[in-house]
Amino acid sequence: MSTQASWTSLTGILTFLFEGSLSAIAVAILITFGVPILLHIFFFRTVASPPSSNFLLLGPSGAGKTAFTTLLESKSSTSAKKTQTHTSQTSTLITVSLPPTVPTASNRYRSINDPSLKEASKNPVRYRLKDTPGHGKLRESQGLAELVSMSASKDIKTKIRGVVFMVDTAALTDEATLRDSASYLHDVLLVLQQRALGKGKSSTKRDAEIPVLIAGNKQDLFTALPAGSVRERLEGEIERIRKSKSKGLMDASADGGDAEEEEVLGDDDGKGVFSFKLLEQVGIKVDVVGGAVKGDAEEEVGSGVRRWEEWIGMCL
Amino acid sequence: MLEAFEILTTSGVVLWSKSYAPVGAHIVNSLINDVFIEEKVVPQNAAGVSPVFKKEKYTLKWRRNKEFSLIFVAVYQSLLHLGWIDKLLENISTIFIDIYKDQLKGNRTRITTYRFDPYFEQQVRELEDNTGSVAEVYDAEIESKKDLLVSSDNGGPPPPVPGFLKAQHQAARAGATSDEGTPPATPDTSRSTTPNHILTGKSGPRTSRRARKAANASANASSGDEHSRSRKPAKSTPAKKMRKWDADGYADEDDGEILDYSAPAEDGDVAAPAVEAVAQEDWGRRTGKGQFVLKELGEEVHNILDNADAEKSKDGAASGVVGSGFNAIGGFFRNIVGGKTLTKSDLQKPLKAMEDHLLKKNVAREAAVRLCEGVEAELVGKKTGNFQSVDAALHIAMEASLRKILTPTSSLDLLREINAVTAPTTKQHAPRPYVMSIVGVNGVGKSTNLSKICFFLLQNNYRVLIAACDTFRSGAVEQLRVHARNLKELSSRENVGEVELYEKGYGKDAANVAKDAVEYGAANKFDVVLIDTAGRRHNDQRLMSSLEKFAKFANPDKIFMVGEALVGTDSVMQARNFNAAFGTGRNLDGFIISKCDTVGDMVGTLVSMVHATGIPIVFLGVGQHYGDLRGLSVPWAVSLLMK
Repeated sequence: MSTQASWTSLTGILTFLFEGSLSAIAVAILITFGVPILLHIFFFRTVASPPSSNFLLLGPSGAGKTAFTTLLESKSSTSAKKTQTHTSQTSTLITVSLPPTVPTASNRYRSINDPSLKEASKNPVRYRLKDTPGHGKLRESQGLAELVSMSASKDIKTKIRGVVFMVDTAALTDEATLRDSASYLHDVLLVLQQRALGKGKSSTKRDAEIPVLIAGNKQDLFTALPAGSVRERLEGEIERIRKSKSKGLMDASADGGDAEEEEVLGDDDGKGVFSFKLLEQVGIKVDVVGGAVKGDAEEEVGSGVRRWEEWIGMCL
Repeated sequence: MLEAFEILTTSGVVLWSKSYAPVGAHIVNSLINDVFIEEKVVPQNAAGVSPVFKKEKYTLKWRRNKEFSLIFVAVYQSLLHLGWIDKLLENISTIFIDIYKDQLKGNRTRITTYRFDPYFEQQVRELEDNTGSVAEVYDAEIESKKDLLVSSDNGGPPPPVPGFLKAQHQAARAGATSDEGTPPATPDTSRSTTPNHILTGKSGPRTSRRARKAANASANASSGDEHSRSRKPAKSTPAKKMRKWDADGYADEDDGEILDYSAPAEDGDVAAPAVEAVAQEDWGRRTGKGQFVLKELGEEVHNILDNADAEKSKDGAASGVVGSGFNAIGGFFRNIVGGKTLTKSDLQKPLKAMEDHLLKKNVAREAAVRLCEGVEAELVGKKTGNFQSVDAALHIAMEASLRKILTPTSSLDLLREINAVTAPTTKQHAPRPYVMSIVGVNGVGKSTNLSKICFFLLQNNYRVLIAACDTFRSGAVEQLRVHARNLKELSSRENVGEVELYEKGYGKDAANVAKDAVEYGAANKFDVVLIDTAGRRHNDQRLMSSLEKFAKFANPDKIFMVGEALVGTDSVMQARNFNAAFGTGRNLDGFIISKCDTVGDMVGTLVSMVHATGIPIVFLGVGQHYGDLRGLSVPWAVSLLMK
């Protein structure tokens, strides 16, 4: 009778709880320890911390950026799937893992027989790659804006480890494509230079350098230029841009008072001929490496991008 | 016939595609470039009809899903008029999103393999069937094939009347597709009723069926049916018959039921056989190409579509009476806290305010309205961020939209282009002078801006020839002569460049003078030829028509149009008419907006002109001096407009 009453009225339940009976204590203990564990399982199980090394993929439209990202993505997952791609309108951030055979910079001094290397092959290094649209109208708002924010960020999660600038080596023989690619590359390098110079002045501690890889895509095509030639052409075209920029008209915004002198790419005030070597003085290392997203049919999928992955590995 | 169907994300990855004929990737790329990014082509957006884009010989229809940022594109030959594409796009997008909702939400969207083919096939076949004779021959083919195969399943009983079969499809779906139109009246010729059927009908399985279903009164009627059908022309060959026997011999058990439902097509006794016919429907059916589609699939698809429809109607009802109160309160909180899904009614007021703001900035009404519509279409269905009000979201979207419009696809570097022409790097092109001409309405400052450009070029050590092709207005040549004298004086003082005036007096044909000037420039090794033209009213057909001849004769590398920053609504028509005046295949190459110093922050003309034509702004005139020429800075313009 009394037990019946204890479950129907509030005071009854309270009495039971404060009675000090063994079952009540057991329930209390279960709840106190169980709820946090349950909450933890519920909220934190699915969220794995994203890798902290970011790479930004830039380049003109049609160079093969999206194709490259999808290739890496399908390589790092089990299901190998060939996808078509079209012109991108938005950027995407993907997490991919480096193949275990690719050496990373952090393992540079290890012996080949180091047992920890074997350990690492089970746990491939993961990094994030941001694909941006290369269309002329979207470069400023997405590609370059992304570069500025990522390079300026102090947060370790969004810090950028390297920039991959992709060009279509088969189309670089065309004057218009070369001009387009070079002017985009010029803008990218200018942003990086501004960052490097600005940092040097303001703070004593220099930030990590951001290396640039010029990934010469479509080397599988017959008309593709070799990496050395790509480098030469881009340097020549950037030199021309530099010249015409220094002579060109001012922007309308320059009238607003802060008539800051426009910066010239390369630290020599526009004298002499431009080459990527000039940028090494300000800490921007530029590599030109050829590769192919779409390889021969008999080759293993993604073997054409091996050298780019090695470059990425050397940045990690 | 449908050429290709693709499902792609806005980040450019094709998730799933199906192509019946090879369609180049550039077709879809040009859709993305022209419609989504550059917004050159403004699609007509009628209610319930997907927008259309035509490229080469193809017509593209598409449908966007904002939540998952997917684009569904259907490509077909422009020659065909496929009425069911709209329905297909709608259904496919609903089905695809319903099936792969989880995958699309996850971060493995791009690498998942989507086994969507059967669903798509089912939809195409169903819609094709429902829409009647798109191409009668094609339809007939399908029907005949289907009939053959259906009959083969049943061990060779007479085929059901196609029309009746369809009616039963409809019945089985029970309203699921009741709005999809009535079953078409298939032409009689499409039925493949052959003597073979009679033969099979009289063979073993047939009698066994009769034994089993002796009580069924419809047996006689069925044979009567056959007799009536046997009069129709024969189509299928014995060879085909053999194949179908081989393929599905096991299906004999069903034949009783099948035979039953073919019978009452003419008989009044519908009730009993109809049930059995549905039972057969449960089992599955054949597609037009002979692939077997399980009934489950069809049902699944219809369930999905039904649910979507129900959801839609529920939404409509909920917003009616009861839901409005809760929605209002919730909406109020959401407006402050953020995370609110924007609807048309939420945006109505802020959009109106935004439109007024743009109008105050001297943006032409047409452009302002279209900008707002674009932003609205972009925002409806989106969620606002945390602690972001509707106004803030709208502000950001409008800023992005303006920036996108004003940013040129490829930035124009005039000096580099001039260098490429006058001193080509390859041996294929002979060096020639770079020809620029300037057009515009009367009094906007054509000659002034021409001399500003000339000054800029002289600073860069070019030899410039000014051609006075305004042979109409008195004093025009003298005006240019004064400019040329001043510039010559300036350049000789600074020891840069050289300038000369080419004039042929008044009354001559401007196009001929321009042509002579270009020849003269080439002969005398000038780097740049600048051609000044007479001002003309953009809606004066007589004056505008001479521009086409001018463009053909002078063949300028660049044609710039000068527009006043002061002009308001008229700017749209000015830009459009001048852009169209040079004949097919020749457009304006850029705008020079003059008198920007006189309008302060009301620089709406920039937007109106670019918006109307998609042609970038090259220079801004910002003062009275020769040096007061500026390039466009997009952030500067956008910040002025949004202030």
